Formats: sequence, C-alpha cells, structure tokens
Amino acid sequence: MRKIVMPGDLIAKNPRAAGYGTYVEKGKVYAKFLGLLDKTDTSVRVIPLKGRYIPSSGDVVIGIVREVTANGWIVDIYSPYQAFLPVLEYPENAMRNKKVNEVLDIGDAIIGKVLSIDPKMKVTLTMKDKVCKPVRVGRIVAINPARVPRVIGKKGSMIKMLKSELGIQIVVGQNGLIWINGDRRKVSIAEEAIYIIEEEAHTEGLTDRITEFIKKKKGELENAET
Amino acid sequence: MAEDILMDIKRDYVLSRIRSGERIDGRGFDEFRQISVQTGIIEKAEGSALVKLGNTQVIVGIKMQVGEPFPDTPEKGIIITNSELVPLASPTFEPGPPDENSVELARVVDRGIRESEAVNLEELCIEEGEKVWVIFIDIHALDDDGNLMDASAIAAISALMNTTVPAEKFEVGEDFRLPVQDIPISVTSLIVDDYSLVDPCRDEMSVGNNLITITSDKNGNVVAMQKSGSYLLSEEKFYEVLELSVAKAEEVRKQVVSQINQGDKDGENEES
Amino acid sequence: MQKPKLIVDGKRLDGRGFEELRPIKIEAGVLKRADGSCYLEMGKNKIIAAVYGPREVHPRHLQDPSKAVIRYRYNMAPFSVEERKKPGPDRRSVEISKVSREALEPVIMKELFPRSGIDVFVEVLQADAGTRTACLNAASVALIDAGVAMRGMVTSVAVAKVEGNIVLDPMKEEDNYGEADVPIAFLIRNDRIESIALLQMDGRLTLEEMKKAMELAKKGAMQIYRLQREAIMKKYMKEETEEPEEENEQ
Repeated sequence: MRKIVMPGDLIAKNPRAAGYGTYVEKGKVYAKFLGLLDKTDTSVRVIPLKGRYIPSSGDVVIGIVREVTANGWIVDIYSPYQAFLPVLEYPENAMRNKKVNEVLDIGDAIIGKVLSIDPKMKVTLTMKDKVCKPVRVGRIVAINPARVPRVIGKKGSMIKMLKSELGIQIVVGQNGLIWINGDRRKVSIAEEAIYIIEEEAHTEGLTDRITEFIKKKKGELENAET
Repeated sequence: MAEDILMDIKRDYVLSRIRSGERIDGRGFDEFRQISVQTGIIEKAEGSALVKLGNTQVIVGIKMQVGEPFPDTPEKGIIITNSELVPLASPTFEPGPPDENSVELARVVDRGIRESEAVNLEELCIEEGEKVWVIFIDIHALDDDGNLMDASAIAAISALMNTTVPAEKFEVGEDFRLPVQDIPISVTSLIVDDYSLVDPCRDEMSVGNNLITITSDKNGNVVAMQKSGSYLLSEEKFYEVLELSVAKAEEVRKQVVSQINQGDKDGENEES
Repeated sequence: MQKPKLIVDGKRLDGRGFEELRPIKIEAGVLKRADGSCYLEMGKNKIIAAVYGPREVHPRHLQDPSKAVIRYRYNMAPFSVEERKKPGPDRRSVEISKVSREALEPVIMKELFPRSGIDVFVEVLQADAGTRTACLNAASVALIDAGVAMRGMVTSVAVAKVEGNIVLDPMKEEDNYGEADVPIAFLIRNDRIESIALLQMDGRLTLEEMKKAMELAKKGAMQIYRLQREAIMKKYMKEETEEPEEENEQ
C-alpha cells in the first residue's frame, strides 16, 4: 500500500530524485498535489488521485470538434485548454478534394494525439498516427482522468482483458474519454465495467473482480440468447 | 496597456535600486514622503482635508446628517466611510461601482478610526434610540502616486478634526466641534524580497503590490491591520514591520498635528 | 444592550479555556459536480466550499497568458444570520473575498496552468463568528481534494482579546463585545508553519499582546491543520489500499 501525500509534504531530501508531482525548494523535495507516493532510492514522484487532464505531448486523447477554421479545427479535449488540429496534421489522402468542414465538422469526435504544447499551453494535435481516426460509430464514456491508468491496468492488462473477453474495440484517451465500439450489448457491459473501475480504482483485487463481472455478464447474455 | 508596459520597464530599475539598499527617490526605507495637510478647503462640507503624500493627493469630505442609531448601539452616533477611486486619479481606475480595492481602502480607513475610538460617538447621541448623528466620511482620490491608503487615513482624521457638527442646520441645538479624542495613523509598507519600504510611491509599486498596513493610536496600541496583496509574509518580517509602523505612526502624527495647528493659526491671522 | 460577562472563573461562555478551539468537523469531497469540495463546521459555523478548475476562462480577455486566474467568492446565505441578509455581495464580502484570494494565490501553483482559471466558491450556510477563517480552511481542503498543485496547506484561525485576555477562536459574543479580533492564516508545510498568508486586525492591542496573539494563533492553526489532513485522508484512505498500476500500454 502506498502512502497518501498532500501538497507540501516533504518526500525526499535529494533534489535529483524529484520526479512528476513534486517541487523542489531549498534542496528539499515536496509533494505538489494530493496523490500516492512512489519512491525508490533514485526517484520520487507523486501519482495524482484527482485533478483535471493537463495535456502532455504524445498523449492519445479523444476530443470533440468545437470550431472549424480555414486551416484546421478547434477541438475540446476536456482539459483547461482547447486543442488545435491543423489541416496539415490530417492525413493528406483523406483531405483530397474536400472542404475543411467536410472532413470534420462541429460536434464530430476524434481520436487524436497531442503533437506539441507551447509554454503558453497552446495545444496542437495530430491525426497522423495509426491509432488516430475520426469516431463515427461506437460510444464514448467519460471518467476522471486520474483513473485512466487503472482502466489501462498494469502493462495494459485491464484493457487487454476487456477487449479479449468482450471482443470489442476500446481506445482510452489520457484525458479520461474512452471510445468503445462493437456489439451493442457488449459495449454496454464494457461501459459498466469501466465505471466500476473508476469508482473502485484503488481497491484490492480489482482486475480479478472485473474479470469475474465480465464473465458473469457474458453468461447472462448467452443464456438470454438460448 | 501602455501603462502596464511602462511599469514593466520601471520594475527592473526599481528592484535593482532596492537590492542595493536605495530607493529611487532617495528616501530611506523607513522614510515617508513629504506630508502636507490642508483642512477646511470645502465650505459646503462639515469638515474637509486635502492631504498630499509626495505627489499622491486625496481629499476627504465629511458630511453629517441626523439619523436613526443602530439597534445594538442606541446611544451612539454612526460612522459611514466610502471611497471613490475616480478615473481622474489614475489611468488604471475605471468608472463604475467601487471595486475591491476601493472597498478595501474605505474599510481599512474606517477600521482605524472606529477601533481607535477617534470620535467620541456617545457625544453624538441626540435622543437615545431615536436620533443620532451620522458621519459620512467620503474619500476622494485625486492623484494616485502610490499609497492612497495612508494618505486617505491622514485625510480622514484631519477632516474629522476639522468638522463642526451642524446642529443649527438640523435644529437640534448649537453647532459644536466634533469630539475627536484620538489620532489613528496608518503606516503602509511594501514588502520586496526581504526589504520593507514604508509609504511606497507608484513607481515602487511596479515591483508588486505586497502591502501591509498597520494602524496605531496615540498610545502606541495597534488598532487595525491589513495584509493586502498575493504574497506570503514571514513572521520575522511581520514583527519588524509591526514595531517600525507603530514608531513611524508617532512621527507622522506629530507632523499632521503641527500642520493642522499651523493651518488653524494661518486661518486666524487671515480673519483678523 | 448590556455587555454580558464573557469570562467567568477563567472559563469562556461556552465553557472553553482561553487556548481552546470550538469543536471542528471537516469532511472532504461532499459535492458531486465540483472538482473538489469540503464541508466544515467550526462552532456553529456551517461552511461549504467548492473548487472548479483549472478550467477555461471566459471571456478570453480575463485570461492571463502566464498563469491561472484565481477567483474566490465568499458568500453568506440569506438565512445564515439572525436578521435575513440581503443576497449578493456587500462591501464586507468583497473585502473578505479579496484578502482570502490573496492568501491562496501565492500558495496555489498558478504558473503551471497558464490561461486557465481556478474558482473557489465558499458559501456560509450558518454564520457564527470567524466565518472568513472557517471558509479559508474549507477552501484549502477543497483545493487539495480537487488535485490542485499547491505549496502546502492554508490554515486559518482568529484570536481575540476578551476582557483583557488573549483567547483563541472567538465565538459570536466574544467577537461582538471583545476588545480586538485578529484573523490570521498561515501556509503550513510538512507540519511546520512557514509564513503568514492572511492577516487582519481590528480592535486595540499593545505590541506585547499582538505577539501573544500570534503565538496563540500558531498553536490553534496547527490543531486545525491536523484536522484538515485527517479529513482528506479519511476520504481517500478507504480507496487506496492497493498498489496503483500506471503502465500506459494499450
């Protein structure tokens, strides 16, 4: 069990060890926000328990187009910062002979990747990655972004299990939006499971309990069919 | 906007001077600007004062009315303090209802006067529970070259000392001098790094508005304090500023009193 | 109205000693919609605080390109006091909101969230004395509950002079009839008082009394600080029993 730390708690005396979620003052390392302490001999960091999604480059995010401009789209990524997706960052072959708003229009959802962030937190997205695509089918569920690592699980274990047990597609945005696609009833089971994971994110034996839950729900489905 | 840019340019200069132990206008860190007090400048008011603190200028006018006392103090007069930061006084003041700075200014000045019991409010009772005198202290900034707080506080007490209660006008007896029994003086310091500068001027405020105001009465008691500005104050600094402020207030009080007396004398000479 | 006798046989009207706080109850995370929240009772004060953000700031001209804009709204419910209070901000609330915001601003790491806004809304549901200090304590817990990056905890308490004695955490009668009231807030970090975040005073105190008041406030604040931490711990302890997993492979 990891220790809960709060802003200002002294967590290390070696400033070189200071990692994510920490700040250094007069050579001492303090926690920056509420979270779980992750400390080894050489590194110390704080894993947040709460908080809004703050974009970081390379993150996969799910967003909704809010505005269409001449050279791209303004995308709401459920963070304090809206993102901009430039036309140039959309795959060329999909853009051919189309107007900007014919490719993506207001209200469309996308799976994108954070390309860059400038010091003023201007966020630029790209669609030039194999995971990226406009989302026209399936369902999007929203959870607390601090719970995202739990939905993914250790080395992707939780998400792999959900996908293989239910035979559906799932993409988890780091911003707490999750896209699920496949058989409608199985999508509903996945959605329910994700909410349970969010709610009980840090309880013991979560993966086992979720596996059990999915098997039970699947069994109910099969029984209903026969 | 242009104003902001000018402030940015000033900032580095002001800071470097402070860090080498000097102030841009050559004052000592614990030194007030030149104080000038003129009372009785508005004939229509029951009392008034124009105070200059260097280039900062504030006018305070006192108006009095007969009103009902507050239910919990049926035998006491009432003080109501307001301030208006009119756009004339600074390019950064906007027309409109009082903003938080204006509200804070009025309330801190009010606290100093009220808590020092500068005005004997019992003597302002006309008929217990029914009629008392209401004193309106209106602070009107004319030129904000920094530290409106102390200028306003000096102007307020000076105007009160200049006030005649208009009893004849309201047909409740003979006019009399407002019973003023203390002279609260506020001392505002700007905190910069480990330094504190009393009576900061506008240019010095370009480094930030980390202020603390400490008001004390004639016996050296603290009667009001206000930390103002988004900063953290160390305990050591607080004690240092606290003691300095009380000592400084005594000096300022003497100056204010002598200026008012001088003014009264000049006035008498003119009359004769 | 006759001023009641406030201290009898070294005890205060509610039976407290001079250096004793009123009973305090703090609960973190009480609101669903807010990013962080807190319910707090301090004596008869009943306070609820909510934090939203960091979030987008509208209209855009209110944004600051280098840091988050903090808003703090102290508001008294019309039914919170004996005589109904007219809804909306009066001059007192405007001033309290200002100094409270200024106490939190240097503690919140605003520079991490340029162009965004962090809103702290505090409602006084029932007012006893010391609402501004109680509100600040609740706001601080709500900020931490929201996961906002901060340098430490802000903890606030008032000290008063009552019939010549310096007492901790004045109640209503002591506030009304006491000789001085000194609300203070501290930045507390790692169980240590670091600096003064809010300081106001009205009344009359000698320099010696002022120093005594400060020392007493520090003592009181440390007790409240522990209760603030406990409240946050209580909310999260029940959830955090297992090693978190944070590999992001998909």
